[in-house]
Amino acid sequence: MFAAILCAAIGLGDFGWDFSQQRSRNLTRFAEEMRPFPLQHVPWDTRVAWQWSTELFSDRGATAAAQTLAISLVAISIAGLIGLALSLPAARTFARPDAWSRASPDSRPLARMAWTSLYVTTRAVLIALRSMPEYVWAFLLLAALGPTPWVAVCALAFHNVGTLGRLGAETVENAEPRVFESLRGLGAGRFQIVAFGLWPQLLPRFLLFHFYRWETCVREATVLGMLGIASLGFWIDDARARGHTDELVFWVLLGSVIVLVGDAASAVARSVVRRA
Amino acid sequence: MTPADAVGKRPWPVGPRAIVLLSLLAAGAWGVVYLELDLSGLVPGAGGIATAKRFFARALSPAWVSEARFVPADAPPLLIGALEGAWQTIRFAAAAVALSLVIGIALGIPASTALWAADPAGARTAAGRLARRSLFPAVYVSTRGLIGFLRSIHELLWAVLFLVAFGLNDSTAVVAIALPYGGVLAKIFSEMLDEVPRGSANALREIGARPLQVMLFGLIPRVAADFTGYTFYRMECALRASAVLGFFGFPTLGLFIRQSFSATNYGEVWTYLYTLAVLVIAFDAWSAAVRRRLAS
Repeated sequence: MFAAILCAAIGLGDFGWDFSQQRSRNLTRFAEEMRPFPLQHVPWDTRVAWQWSTELFSDRGATAAAQTLAISLVAISIAGLIGLALSLPAARTFARPDAWSRASPDSRPLARMAWTSLYVTTRAVLIALRSMPEYVWAFLLLAALGPTPWVAVCALAFHNVGTLGRLGAETVENAEPRVFESLRGLGAGRFQIVAFGLWPQLLPRFLLFHFYRWETCVREATVLGMLGIASLGFWIDDARARGHTDELVFWVLLGSVIVLVGDAASAVARSVVRRA
Repeated sequence: MTPADAVGKRPWPVGPRAIVLLSLLAAGAWGVVYLELDLSGLVPGAGGIATAKRFFARALSPAWVSEARFVPADAPPLLIGALEGAWQTIRFAAAAVALSLVIGIALGIPASTALWAADPAGARTAAGRLARRSLFPAVYVSTRGLIGFLRSIHELLWAVLFLVAFGLNDSTAVVAIALPYGGVLAKIFSEMLDEVPRGSANALREIGARPLQVMLFGLIPRVAADFTGYTFYRMECALRASAVLGFFGFPTLGLFIRQSFSATNYGEVWTYLYTLAVLVIAFDAWSAAVRRRLAS
């Protein structure tokens, strides 16, 4: 860990931190360009600024916000379902011939090999999905599918299947084993154990992870639009390309509002799940 | 009221957790309808299929030498270039996490109530009590607002703002990642400080330690292990974020990926993708080992 701190310190010191005059001139120029277009070089009038904001919002902002939220919701729902399904074969305690039984696993080497290969494959797939950032997935999918919302949905879903699958698998592996052993002693089959013993433990924790990842999905959905997909990021990139810094700042702040709304909804949902 | 108490008098046939699950699925369904998604959108068009075929054909045969038609005489070999990109990615990410640690701890302490609300470090003078009733709550609320604001803007959007304001610069990338990550670390740090058991902190207060000593020796050692584990996770996210920042022009792996993809040198793209994957997986393995050692 000390090595890590040392690396970080070296990394931080290596950068050209300049607080030159050019930097402060750029900052003042940016602050001037940030003012809404009708108000540049003119005394500040809040009513004009408000009218400009509401025009932008009703014209494009509301649709863009709804599109961003929709993309994030569809992506996280798909990722949740697939991740939940994949967390079973990715869990070491499930992926063996006599799951959750006290018997020693020396018998049936062929079945054990089959289960182990399933486990290794699932884990490898989850790691591969997880290690690519969503932006890279979207960039690659864009070439194949064109600028449709499916690109953003699939990019977010792929990455989050990896994350949620891994978190779900860890939850399955850390589940309380005595319940399973007693169910096994009663003669329950593998999937009966899952349905009656594992599900009540797994679902609440998985829902918590699910909502936590949804918050990240909302942020990423905002940004993925910068590749050309119809969401808030599209208008951010549009304003940047045109040099309309005032609109750029407005869209970024609108994105911030969307994220805060999503965070609030997620916090409410998570507290309901925790209390139940 | 536990679920066991509610069994006899539950008004609804389904519990609150099921309601949450159902509303989540309903929201997903609304999204599908709103975006007018249908499964035909998943099938690529003719041009898309051709590109995808050419791209995936190189998946198992990434390039070992540069595929560009014109390579400058003094250009480094492809693998060295990939390693250089990986090193830049690590460099940006490490600096960003270091800066965000500073921001996180600096903001996390005023954003937690550990210092003043539940009184593990009591106020002994009238001025101290007045501060606890007016100044500290104001600082608390404003710091929480600042943290929420920092967290709500994605690091790529911060990067876009800084690019427009200051142009392409090493430190703009670092600050762009460090601001939201510092906000996240501050929130986690403050929550850990609030939730950690106060036993040792109270004991220190009993023997008369000053508030700063109580916090430094009573609260922070308790959260240090968990917070270090979470910082390692943030570093993994920072690695991915700094790779993506390359798409905007910064000299990390994303820049190489974008350039090679635009030049349709798909073998090179796969080389860079594998480099990124190895980087993230190696760091993930290291961070898991560190977290296991911290937890034991």
